[in-house]
Amino acid sequence: MPEVRLEENPSNITQADMVVAIPSYREAELIAHPTTQAARGLRRYFSDKNAVIINCDNDSDDGTKEAFFSAETEGVPQIYISTPPEVRGKGNNFHNLFRKVVELGAKAVVVVDADLKSITPQWIKHLGEPLFNEFGYVAPLYVRHKYDGTITNSIAYPLTRALYGRRVRQPIGGDFGFSGELARVYLASPTWTDAVRHFGIDVWMTTLAVNHNVPICQAFMGRPKIHKAKDPGADLGPMFSQVVGTIFDLMAHSAGYWMRVKWSKPTSIYGFGLGEVEMPPPVKMNLGVLAEKFHRGFDQYHEVWRAVLTPAIMNKVEEVAGLPDENFDFPTQTWAKLLFDFAVAYNKKVIDAEELLASLIPLYFGKTLSYARKTERMSVQQAEEFIENECMVFEETKPYLIEHWIT
Amino acid sequence: MAKILIVDDEEHIRFLYSEELADEGYEVITADSGYQLLERIAKEKPDLVVLDIKMVDYNGLDLLQDIRNKFYDLPVILCTAYDTFKEDMKSIAADFYVIKSFDLTELKNKIKMALETKLPQEEK
Repeated sequence: MPEVRLEENPSNITQADMVVAIPSYREAELIAHPTTQAARGLRRYFSDKNAVIINCDNDSDDGTKEAFFSAETEGVPQIYISTPPEVRGKGNNFHNLFRKVVELGAKAVVVVDADLKSITPQWIKHLGEPLFNEFGYVAPLYVRHKYDGTITNSIAYPLTRALYGRRVRQPIGGDFGFSGELARVYLASPTWTDAVRHFGIDVWMTTLAVNHNVPICQAFMGRPKIHKAKDPGADLGPMFSQVVGTIFDLMAHSAGYWMRVKWSKPTSIYGFGLGEVEMPPPVKMNLGVLAEKFHRGFDQYHEVWRAVLTPAIMNKVEEVAGLPDENFDFPTQTWAKLLFDFAVAYNKKVIDAEELLASLIPLYFGKTLSYARKTERMSVQQAEEFIENECMVFEETKPYLIEHWIT
Repeated sequence: MAKILIVDDEEHIRFLYSEELADEGYEVITADSGYQLLERIAKEKPDLVVLDIKMVDYNGLDLLQDIRNKFYDLPVILCTAYDTFKEDMKSIAADFYVIKSFDLTELKNKIKMALETKLPQEEK
């Protein structure tokens, strides 16, 4: 954890009611836009609050800090905080943010991604306003293309919902709001890990908010999240391991909680009345590449899977692998039990954690291929219903997890 | 015995649901519109609300928002003749939805599930 923090606070701000934070690493090209939109949102909707915009950076060498300070902010003061040189990780940026929020005594914090292109001032209103109305955590609710956010759709959402009983559709959405009080809880948590210090931070924050019985609402953003295109092949490995590893780590910490949860409950929804909902841009999925990665993983990790999975689920995976591409189908119940087997093996340290998480990636590609095939002709709305039904399967299958976790 | 509030502007639906759910052992109360619904909920303290989406004077999805904002964890089951409501994202604030039918098996199953739903903070 970086105890040294580099800070530039040109307006010498020592107190704030509200903070908008923008975590970044090498976002010089794009950070000005969310900064300006955040300032407009603060001026338009929170003019009675002392507010500040904070860029929490990983000591970017591309001019991110300069781009942040040059953005038009209509007089809203800015603070730049960075981890020391060579210290990376989104979660490390958040650790710095939590400390600063506590120092400033802020009541409400809104976080938006530095590469956001579709942000409007209303996003700040929708993520911030519930925090002044009894809610402690605000998760975003976007309309996303059916092929966007597949880690969310097939792992993060169904698992967190089935485990902790609260339906938060975008537990790793990246844009959210939380209270100053919750920042203290985050800072004091004993569950910080290396994964949390990187991309595990989003699911960690959502999970802790649920486990601490913080009133949660989901804020409807009106517009799809459009941000810098990423190369999924290049970025997936570390991010996947950090997100899934964090979910598994938290399962061990909070087993006493999730074992007592039965079914799930919705949350309040905030932020309607934005007019017509804008549909998300299409996302292309290369099914051939997914199939190839799944089958290559089958050859590479067959023995690892045999050590991790129960014999019945291993047999199912072998059956799935034997299916021709045109009939490829990864049944939801098999997927749910498979994830539960991985969680149990991770907790029992059956094999090295890094290898276990790496071996899950090709299975995730197989599940994604199956999802893409099943939802090929579905509208965004129909695919959403499909995911909701999959979540119900996870909830129904939860006794399997409990049985294997405690034996 | 769980108390269920049926909110529907069609009398025969209120009658059918009341009879069948009472036979299942529930205490049933009814409302024929969304008029002063929040006050009614505060006073009667139902364990679950079965809410019609399309009433003559009220939009059930707006009522759902009001209920959820005031009674955060009160289970609400949406009832509708058409499933087009799912295009409105407000509907996700409901615990479940059912398509109206004279066969109430689905509704009864969802009521049972909603009443069984348990989070640790609610344990007495």
